[in-house]
Parts: sequence; structure tokens; C-alpha cells
Amino acid sequence: MSSIEVSVEVRVPVRTAYDQWTQFKSFPRIMNAVQRVDQIGPAMTRWRVKTGLLTKEFMAEIVEQEPDSHIAWRSVERPPWLWGQVSFRAAAPDRTVITVNMHIEPHGLSGRLPDSAKRARKLVRESLENFKEFIEGLGDASGAWRGSIHNGRVSPAEPNPPRSRVPKWPVG
Amino acid sequence: MKKAPKHEPDEPLTVSPPKKWAAGVPAVTHALEYSLDQTSLRTTATTLLTMNQVGGIDCPGCAWADPAPGHRHMNEYCENGAKHINDEATGRRVTREFFRAHPVSWLNEQSDLWLNQQGRLTEPMIKRADSDYYEPISWADALDLLADELKSLDSPDEACFYTSGRASNESAFVLQLFARAFGTNNLPDCSNLCHETSGFGLHETLGTGKGTVSLDDIHQSDLIFLVGQNPATNHPRQLSALEECKDNGGKIISVNTLPEAGLMRFKNPQQVRGVIGDGVQISDQFLHIRSGGDLALFQGLNKLLLEAEDANPGTVLDHDFIARYTSGFEEFAQHARSISWDDILTATQLTREEIEEAHDHVMHAGRVIVCWAMGVTQQRQGVPTVREIVNFLMLRGNLGRVGCGASPVRGHSNVQGDRTMGVWEQMPDEFLDALKSEFRFEPPRHHGYDAVKAVKAMAEGKVKVFLSLAGNFVRAAPDTEVTDAAMRRCKITAQISTKLSKAHTVTGETALILPCLGRTEIDIQSGGVQFVTVENTSSEVHTSFGKLRPASRLLLSEVAILCRLANRTLGDKVDIPWLEFEADYGNIRDRVAQIIPGFYDFNRRVARPGGIKLPNPVNEGVYATATGKAMFTVNDWDMSAAPPGHLILQSTRSHDQWNTIPYTNNDRYRGIHGRRNIIMINPEDMVDLGLVRGQFVDIIGVWHDDVDRRVEGFEVIPYPTSRGCAAAYYPEVQPLVPLDSVAAISNQPTSKGIVVRLEPGTPPPGTKPTEWHD
Repeated sequence: MSSIEVSVEVRVPVRTAYDQWTQFKSFPRIMNAVQRVDQIGPAMTRWRVKTGLLTKEFMAEIVEQEPDSHIAWRSVERPPWLWGQVSFRAAAPDRTVITVNMHIEPHGLSGRLPDSAKRARKLVRESLENFKEFIEGLGDASGAWRGSIHNGRVSPAEPNPPRSRVPKWPVG
Repeated sequence: MKKAPKHEPDEPLTVSPPKKWAAGVPAVTHALEYSLDQTSLRTTATTLLTMNQVGGIDCPGCAWADPAPGHRHMNEYCENGAKHINDEATGRRVTREFFRAHPVSWLNEQSDLWLNQQGRLTEPMIKRADSDYYEPISWADALDLLADELKSLDSPDEACFYTSGRASNESAFVLQLFARAFGTNNLPDCSNLCHETSGFGLHETLGTGKGTVSLDDIHQSDLIFLVGQNPATNHPRQLSALEECKDNGGKIISVNTLPEAGLMRFKNPQQVRGVIGDGVQISDQFLHIRSGGDLALFQGLNKLLLEAEDANPGTVLDHDFIARYTSGFEEFAQHARSISWDDILTATQLTREEIEEAHDHVMHAGRVIVCWAMGVTQQRQGVPTVREIVNFLMLRGNLGRVGCGASPVRGHSNVQGDRTMGVWEQMPDEFLDALKSEFRFEPPRHHGYDAVKAVKAMAEGKVKVFLSLAGNFVRAAPDTEVTDAAMRRCKITAQISTKLSKAHTVTGETALILPCLGRTEIDIQSGGVQFVTVENTSSEVHTSFGKLRPASRLLLSEVAILCRLANRTLGDKVDIPWLEFEADYGNIRDRVAQIIPGFYDFNRRVARPGGIKLPNPVNEGVYATATGKAMFTVNDWDMSAAPPGHLILQSTRSHDQWNTIPYTNNDRYRGIHGRRNIIMINPEDMVDLGLVRGQFVDIIGVWHDDVDRRVEGFEVIPYPTSRGCAAAYYPEVQPLVPLDSVAAISNQPTSKGIVVRLEPGTPPPGTKPTEWHD
């Protein structure tokens, strides 16, 4: 298993940094290796990642999420081959320290390649640098999801969130 | 392509041991064989290669969800879907010459199979009150006649508008809009007959009528229960999802009165191991339950979970979930603890060890899904059973998380979408208010007739006009003799149909056949080529584009027929642009977007690959129930059983069948070929009842009204059904289901729990000797 911890300080308020991070579908703009992210539900995402010649798709479940604080995730396999957490800490009103902790079990073909842990660390570092450039350049988050997730289950930020406004009558 | 049969099939019954696995190469060959019997190689290729693809034809068969775009096979269909789509795409035609040659009374004597095999309807036909023949009529005259009949009614509630799950969202929306603008909520639908029970049970306890799981959840689950469900025949693509679940380390427990082949082993014809290998074992445990015993089973499992928690506090139940998201736990737990094991074991006919083994699987599973179908819903205690399943899921927090949830598996392509569009006789005020605001008319507020109430109203002469948007109501409804008589009391019946069925032979005084485009066919209106939308069992709304040249130039689309009829019937009374709706279905979707929550920006979003995934409130942490929380419930049940000398009969489809329509007289997985007038009985019950294999019996329904409900000349086949439980084919035994035998609360007919007795019978004339292959 390889463990990675990388931090970066970004010059935006913690809320801005956090809100941008909740916009998973926009991650291909930030992370070079990420080709596509589908948000299947608040707690389920599908990722397509390309490193070198290898393309990998995986599902990740968000198990904990607290606005302006942290997001923890894991791949859905049993046991997971990937899990991690990103945390947000206000260093000052307009500055945020973002820390990514990630753990990867060698998995599949890419896991058997030499230096896979080193490459993963490089990827995370580059992604955080890109995120810094992106959010500092824009200044504002491109969207936000303010609900929280505990033990993989959503607690909405408001009693009747927009995504719950669907037909609720009995369906035969 | 083979020609339509002139005569009923005349094959002997052959009986061989039930199969131990489903699909594989035979599924492919049977699908292709049927398709090429019906149509050309070119059409077969067009339908199959575009089926369930982005921008293609949505299978008009079941409502199983498609994989995400980019993850679909080139052949994204199953044997039954392939048969179903090419049954619609058939090259056979029913013409005016056909109707001239065959009186309606003669047609009514023919089998469902024979009628369907004649091919596609091609032009509007009318059976006038004084005639036994259908004759051609122009569209304008047919729709004028129907509109005039509607306008002449003393009350709008003298009309009934039935919908089948084939109808698209657009046509369903237009139908309910027309009915309500006309002034009635009489909108019975096929949902009343299949999953109404699920809707009521889920809505009360979780605040949503829809299942909570996606295809991805199925793939990622640790443990899936399949309860009262036969995936291999009724939604075969589910087997691929179950296979993926198993590949990911998941386990499956199936619960059924019949050991169906697809519950045992699946050979996926798209995998090498499915073609030349043994395939995948589906069920890790098979619970051979007594019919109607599911409620007791889940209460037994719940009791065991509570006891396990008592033994090791804090390790079994999800206390955080129960405390934060649910209500009613204490009352539920007290009741569950009080149920006796004797009662549970009697009701289920399972052993304590079997239930404890299932409990062990549950204890080792972090993510649990329960799938169910008609075996649960078509029971008198169906709604309490669904509620108890919810109790079971909630105890360990198996809701609102990845790989968990409740999954009523819906059986017809758009049955869920039609209800979403407002086809329900009891729509809530907020929906009716939205209609009023958008279209500036006052919708009726009093509830209309569901399917059972509609039959009763027709029988009492309260309904005079019956319009059916697809479907085969007289065969799908219970108590066939009563339903037929009710239908015949109508002044006029009109069927918007693609193919011939009993719907056209059991008619009101006057009958109209309004032939429509199938989903496979290109739909061109004055606004250009149209697509329709449908919603699958995982609440994904997506497009379906027809690809084939229509079976006849005179076919109109469902939407066009309804819009023209509405325009003629309502004229200037309401300000609804029916003709704009007909010209461009995008105009309908724009209105849907204004009225139905979650459909904002409908036209743009549904055009994206994969369409729109409607969120489920449960997965958003929202429980729109009476308490604002997910509700534990207390579910009592009685121990009623068939008296000595009686059996509990369930109706079931054969493998070669779609809803009420058999494609052949074969039931491959059960080893039954050639005839359908059979009854499957446990060999030990046969001994007890003094029956021998091959004996012919009459089956008599037993109900407290003492009406003689009887079907005659059924051959006894020994079959490993649960003790005391028998099975026979639907719709042949629908005459035995009393109209009043319904599930409490949902009013759904109990076709899986009919008490019957048997009397010696005689084979129908001309029956060939049965061939037994042991």
C-alpha cells in the first residue's frame, strides 16, 4: 500500500475552495489524468482516469462529507483499493490549506508497474497545484453542494433540497 | 419471415425436467429464430443493433435500466426483449380482408397466441352495434364517432381511460390531460395490476413510490434478495447485473415458490464462460417459500436481527440511522419480538435453520438490496409485506447508501413513467393545481376508478365509454367472466393498439380499433421526426427513436390519436393546443417541465446521452412521509391458508410470453412445451390429493361469494412447487381470481394467492397424448 499526503495553500476563503471541490464533474478541467467524472448521486461518483497508455474506470463512494471541513471517499470494491480524504483548513479569512491524504493498494495492471506509488504522488501534487491555479484564477466557485454525508448517507442542507423535488406519489 | 398461422397450433404436450440454468446459446438461437419468423434479416438487424442504445429504440419490453452510455454492449438486449421488439416489427399484417373473413365472435374463440400471430393492425376499423364484423372506417369518422359518444355522456365519469405500460411519457401525459380536461379522473392503468402494492407500501414508509436503487447499486451490493421474482423470464437483463454483483463478491438469496432456472444459474451469452462454460451460480441460498409467506419471512429475519442486537448490543443495528432518520422503531421492535417462531415457520414453510442461514448472510453484508415483483405484490398481504421489507432494510441502515435499497422491479417498459406523468386515479392536489395553473381549467378533484373499480363500474352500467391506450385489459384484469361481461355492457370501446388481441374481440356494443405506430417505427409529424421518452425502473428518463418504416401509411401515433380525439371532444372548451402537441412532442415536454417536479428543462436534458436520472429523495436524505422520517411499521398477518384438500394457485407467465401474450406454447426453462392448459403441482400434494400425472382436472376458485369460478381441462404436471402451492399460466387462470380478492390498501388483484380445489376433468377435444421425458 502506498500512502500519500500532499498539502497546498490557496488564496481563497475556505468556503470557496470547498465549494469548488464539490463540483466533481469539473475535475477533468483541473486534473490532467481525469478524463471524466459522473456524479451518479450525492455519494457516488464514477471516474475515468488515464495515466500513460492505461485508462481506468472506477466508482468511488463518498463516506463522509462536512461543508468547509472535509470529504472522505473510497472506491466501492470490497475491500477498497483506494481511499482518502481531502480536508480544508482556514489559514486566514482569504487563505485555505488543502490537504489530501490518499491510500492506494496496488491494483490491476497499473498497480504492477514500477514506481506506481511515486507516480500517484506526483499526480496528486500536480492536481493540487492545478486546483490552486484554477480556483485562485477564478476567485469564485463554479457551484456548490452544501449537504453533508455521514457513513455514506446524505443529510441535506435544507429540508426540501432541489434534488428531492421529484414526483413522490405512489407508483404502481 | 413465416406467414401468419391459419390454424391454432396442434402439438402434443411434452414435459421434461425443469432446466437448471438460464440463457446461454439457446437464448440467442431462440431469439433469432422467433425474430426471423416474424420479419426480415434486415429488420431484425436494425431492431437488435439499435435496441437500448443511445439514440436507438428503447426496448418496449421490460423496464430494466440500461448501463451508462459508453458501457453498453453492442447487443444490449435479452432473448425476451429481442422477441418482443420483433413481435412488434413483424412483417405480418392484419388487413380489412382479414376482418371481412373472420367474424368477431369467431375471433373471440381463438387463442391469445393465434390472434397475436396474425400481425400488425393497419387501418382503423369499426364493429357496429348490429354487426359481428369489423369494417374499415376513416380516421376522421372514427374519432368523430368516439368524440360524439364522449360528448353525449351524462357525466364525464361515465368514461374510462386505461393505460398500459407501453405508452410513452408523451402519450400518457396527453391522455391524463385529456381525461381531466374532459372532467374525470377515471384513469385505471396496468400499474393497478402489477406494482400498485409496492407504490403504496413505499410511499407510506419512505415518502416515495419508486425504488431507490440504480444499476450501479445492484453491481456493488453485498447481498441481494430476489423475492417473488423470476428475472430470467420477466427482466432477463437483470441477470447480467446480478452476474456483475457476484463477480464483485456479492451474494444472492432468492425467495420463491418455484425454483426457476434463472434463479439457479446464468450463462451470459456475451461471456465466454456463458457460451462454453458453466456460467455463474446466481443464488447462494434458495428459500422455497410458501406462497404469501414473504411477510413472515422478513418478520423472522427482523426478529433474528433484534435478538442478535440484544446479544451483542451496538453491533447489529444501525442505531445512528434509526435515531436520526426513522420513527416508530420501539413499537415495531416490540411487535417483531412478540411473533412466535411457530407462526413464522408455518407461514413460510421454511425451517428455522434456513431462516438463520439467510440471517447469517445478512449479518455479513454491509450493503443489502431487496428486489421483488408480482410474487409479493399480487398477494392479499402485499402492502404489509413491502412495509416489512422496508423495516428489514432500515434495521441495518440499508437505505440511502451505495449498494443498498428497495427495488420493486417493474415489468413493462414505461409503467413507471406513465404514473410519473399523472396517470393515476388519485393524483394529489399539488399536481392538479399545477395542471390548473398551466392550462387554466379546473381538474376534477374526486378520485376516479382504478382497474378493479372500473370493471365494477362497467358491470353496473356506470361506465359507457372505455378507451384503452395500448394494453389488453380484458385479459390482464381478474375475474375474466365478470370483466368480459362488464366490457360488453359499454356503449363503445376503443382500443389504441398495434396488434390484434382479445381487447378487440371482447367489446362494447360498438367497438373501434385505432391502430397506432409501434415504438420501433419512425414517427414523423408536421414538426418533423419525433422521439418519445420513457422512464425505467431506476427512474432514468431517456429517449426512444423509431427506426423502421411504419407497418402502414394509415397508422397514427398514440399522441396524434389522442390529440385529435381531444380536439374533437373538447373543442374550444379548454385552451390546450392539442394540434401543436401533435405536431411536435417537444411542445408536450415543455408543458411537462412546467407541471411535474424534477422535469425542468426536460427537452434539453433528456436529449443528452443517457437522459435524465430522477433523484430518489431517500438517497438525498429526504423522507417525505407523514412524520418527515422513514417509518417503521407494525404489520399483522393472519394465518389463513388453503383448507385441507385445496391448493394456493399462482398465475405465472411462461418463458415465451410477454404479459398476456404467449409467443409460442413453450415454457423452455420449466421443460413444458406444446400446450398451456396445465397445472403444476408438487408431487407430494399430488399423492395427498389422489392425483396422477397427466390427469385432467377442472380448477375451481374458492371465494366467499360462492360463485362458480372454473377453468376446465387442465393437465396435472408434477413440478417442484412449494407444498400446497400450485402454478398455472396467466392469463388462462385469470377467471379464477375474484374481482373482490384484492390486496388490502392497494386494491391490487391477488393473482398469486388464489385458493382452488380440483375436480376430475376431461381433456379438450382433439388433445394429443402427452409425451413425458423423465
